Amino acid sequence: MKDLASANLDHMTPEEFEAYLPELFEAGGGSISKDPRFANFFKAYPNCAALVADLETIAEQARSLFEPIHDPSDSVWSNIASKLQHGGGTDSDES
Amino acid sequence: MQTKPNPGFFKRNAPIAGEADAIERAKNGDPDAFSTLYALHKRRVYTLCLRMLGNVSEAEDMTQDAFLHLFRKLGSFRGESAFSTWLHRLTVNLVLMHLRKKGLQLVSLEETINPSEDDAPKRDFGSRDQALAGSVDRVTLERAVALLPPGYRMVFVLHDVEGFEHNEIATMLECSTGNSKSQLHKARLKLRELLRNPQALPPLNGAAESAAQNASVGQKVVAR
Repeated sequence: MKDLASANLDHMTPEEFEAYLPELFEAGGGSISKDPRFANFFKAYPNCAALVADLETIAEQARSLFEPIHDPSDSVWSNIASKLQHGGGTDSDES
Repeated sequence: MQTKPNPGFFKRNAPIAGEADAIERAKNGDPDAFSTLYALHKRRVYTLCLRMLGNVSEAEDMTQDAFLHLFRKLGSFRGESAFSTWLHRLTVNLVLMHLRKKGLQLVSLEETINPSEDDAPKRDFGSRDQALAGSVDRVTLERAVALLPPGYRMVFVLHDVEGFEHNEIATMLECSTGNSKSQLHKARLKLRELLRNPQALPPLNGAAESAAQNASVGQKVVAR
């Protein structure tokens, strides 16, 4: 991963651009495709624009996974309740 | 480079109605209040464990451990962060401790949880006619995330799903922030590769798959 401070944004190869991507995503708050500094670069290298658009789609869609959808089975609470009842919730139980 | 606070994370961890009261009562030993806290947070804790571990049985065991740990530590919760944030951290730390005990040496993230050549993302910029926009739904993404190598999956779940910052992840995984960023980037590249061929993604195990599908249907209904 390359340091963004050393980047020459006007004259980059696709390989250099990819090396800066992790930092660019972090610095740009996840949105690079609309950054005017890269408009010319994306015009010259449409595959890089496609890569960025896909990575932004993935990051955006990942947020939808935050809402929990999986339920533990009822036995999980039964076990917790049973352990608490028998003193399993005390520090001495810790392995 | 300094990481910025992620405002979305705090919005997503807003206090839940009745939670503060349940916390205070549970601190005073009220068993019903602790059961309320379990009911309020079991899904989130279990889903987090399942995504990090990729295994139902282990995820249930860790959920149990997380709530037993919560019972012991609740008295130390001072409300300096949202309760769910605090509980998430507690859970993540327990899962990481569990993984270390199992032999996954997260300590040297750079070396040990980097995937093999086969698992690493290919260097491929791709073409515009295969754009993912509009073709990635929740179920497909869940399936792809389940296939990520453990190190990639961990950082992706913690950053892109759970909203932790790279400096927080670096502390938890005992690696550099640069490494966390690099792992995240590789995880997204690997996901891109997997999502380009969604037909090849195996379904999640039974209950998880149907839960993901139901949630996906729910999302579409809401979107209308």
